[in-house]
Amino acid sequence: MALAQPLYADQHRPIQHQFNPYAENGGTILAIAGKDFSVIAGDTRQTEGYSIQTRYAPKVFKLTDRAVLAVNGFQADCSTFVKKVKQRIEWYRHAHSKQMPLKAIARMIQGMLYGKRFFPYYTYNILGGIEEDGTGAVYSFDPVGSYEREACRAAGAASSLIQPFLDNQIYFKNQTPAPGAAPFEPGNLPMDTVLSIVIDSFTSATERHIEVGDGLEMFVVVAPGRDVAGVQSLGAEELPALTPEGERIFVLRRDLKKD
Amino acid sequence: MSIMEYNGGSVVAMKGKNCVAIASDLRLGNQAMTVATNFEKVFPVTDSLYCGLAGLATDVITLRERFRYRVNMYTIKEERQIEPATFAQLVSSTLYERRFGPYFVEPVIAGISKKTGEPFIAAADLIGCLNFAKDFVVCGTASDKLFGVAEGLWEPDMAAEDLFETISQTLMNAVDRDAFSGWGAIVHVITPEKVISRTLKARMD
Amino acid sequence: MAEGGRSGGAYSFSLTTFNPSGKLVQIEHALAAVSQGTTSLGIKASNGIVIATEKKASSILIDDSMIEKVSVICPNIGIVYSGMGPDFRVLVGKARKSAQAYWKMYGEYPPAKVLAQEIATVMQEATQSGGVRPYGVSLLVAGWDDHRGPSLYQIDPSGSFWAWKASAIGKNMVNAKTFLEKRYHDDISLEDAIHTALLTLKEGFEGQMTEKTLEIGVITVPEGNTLTMKDGRPLPTFRKLTHEEIKDYL
Repeated sequence: MALAQPLYADQHRPIQHQFNPYAENGGTILAIAGKDFSVIAGDTRQTEGYSIQTRYAPKVFKLTDRAVLAVNGFQADCSTFVKKVKQRIEWYRHAHSKQMPLKAIARMIQGMLYGKRFFPYYTYNILGGIEEDGTGAVYSFDPVGSYEREACRAAGAASSLIQPFLDNQIYFKNQTPAPGAAPFEPGNLPMDTVLSIVIDSFTSATERHIEVGDGLEMFVVVAPGRDVAGVQSLGAEELPALTPEGERIFVLRRDLKKD
Repeated sequence: MSIMEYNGGSVVAMKGKNCVAIASDLRLGNQAMTVATNFEKVFPVTDSLYCGLAGLATDVITLRERFRYRVNMYTIKEERQIEPATFAQLVSSTLYERRFGPYFVEPVIAGISKKTGEPFIAAADLIGCLNFAKDFVVCGTASDKLFGVAEGLWEPDMAAEDLFETISQTLMNAVDRDAFSGWGAIVHVITPEKVISRTLKARMD
Repeated sequence: MAEGGRSGGAYSFSLTTFNPSGKLVQIEHALAAVSQGTTSLGIKASNGIVIATEKKASSILIDDSMIEKVSVICPNIGIVYSGMGPDFRVLVGKARKSAQAYWKMYGEYPPAKVLAQEIATVMQEATQSGGVRPYGVSLLVAGWDDHRGPSLYQIDPSGSFWAWKASAIGKNMVNAKTFLEKRYHDDISLEDAIHTALLTLKEGFEGQMTEKTLEIGVITVPEGNTLTMKDGRPLPTFRKLTHEEIKDYL
């Protein structure tokens, strides 16, 4: 029998309201370092649950003439974080009259992330670019600032699909050189090989992960003096340098499946 | 804690030109603790048909025996070897019989039809929903990694040797990124003439 | 010992008890029921099988389009009977269910031998269970499968079954079999087999042989000896001939 009126206790029970300050917006980013270049890439799809919010939401940003940052996770935190990083980089330029070096940016990012240790930015960051010694570099971060310089890294929704593939193709894991051949050296692949691995990684992830797709943006940071005919022939757009010191940044765009 | 991750383990199967391959890792765990490193998850059904089972180890063994029973009964009653496609249906029916109290196992099937010589692979979920893929199928705790690597390495119409290399690299690189899988691997390449089984030298950590 | 006022001898107190000479008399009686039934026959040809029977209504007032003596069990198997119609109907129901159960398990229809064995098991159980009588029918099962090709089985009330190249059951079975023995050869074509079947039935046919008083079913061996699939289903290899088709053969 149903009660005519709700019980007194039910009417006056405290109701808990909760605000969840985080969301997860899908997408995937990845970066691979070469000897004298670095490729930083991300797809452009933004999702919430099973809905696509937009097919073009950039995740990769130029910070300086030699540093590019890819961010992935909770979109609102990502854009806030990139904004603040850019601001700190500009302050650095004004204070020191030079562009911030890559490894300094990396350390600064760790500080900014750890500064919010108890209310973290829900962001996975991958920083790529050219070091002061002219080598290509990739730094990867967890949301609270733990970081490491690596030859390659994938992060985001399809990181579990891409990272083992990169282990195999970039770090040559589970491969042995032919007898008499030179040992494998990670982080030393030619640029066209790296770019095709990046494209393959994203088309694979697009095929098997619903939060990845629509478009692919690849930023290629090139060390001073390096030949850029290869990347130019692929139809890359060059981003203007703030203070030309030799490093050059190109953007390559490719379509990914939209289904 | 998901019951599908209680013991860990992964299986993958791939199609080639006139050949198929099926492979599994060798780990048996008790959550994070590794208990054994010789737990094969792929079993012969006929001389040209193999079945891999990833999931709860006790159900892996129970189902292996159940399939053995059912296939033996089929072979005796029908006086013929079971075809891969027919076995896939049998697997599906056996799992769906327990629709509301399932075996916690995802099967993968790989074989070559004796009748047509066609390579065949299939996978099912734990209640028997079949997936007849034309490239590769995966299951187990490293399934997402397997999907990623396989999607990057697999190509159509590989010969037996290339297929062996591809499935081995796919499995090893995927399980190396999975804490619940690994500790050795075994690969079976099935051709119309013979089956080549190899235990791989893999990372043991 | 008292016989309870029934006839049938001392050993018919239980239907499933052997008499001293080692016979189950109820099975003998069932066979007697079969031999009173209208004649049916089956002939295996090089490219198919024909099963045929005489259809006789007991009154001209009966709508004979309702009577079915040749039944489809599944797309590759059909059966015909001699004996008791109602018993046949029950067996057809069980056979169809068995074929569907097989399909559900294996995603394909059973080979003729497996289905014949299933039906034979059902019929045997009736000779060993309490409170039942044996089925009063003999069956001819015609089927095709990619394992054995076309095959023809006969099942008797005892539950025993054999494969035949050609066989006949029912009232005129002895004469029909003698006739078939003379006419049969291994490379007979399906067309010839259908004509032979009609010729055999003509011997001892009661009344006029027309498309209304005949039922014919045929197995046609499919192209390339494999099942042709259409819209995910196998095209039937067994079908019943229409009135028009039967008329053409007469």
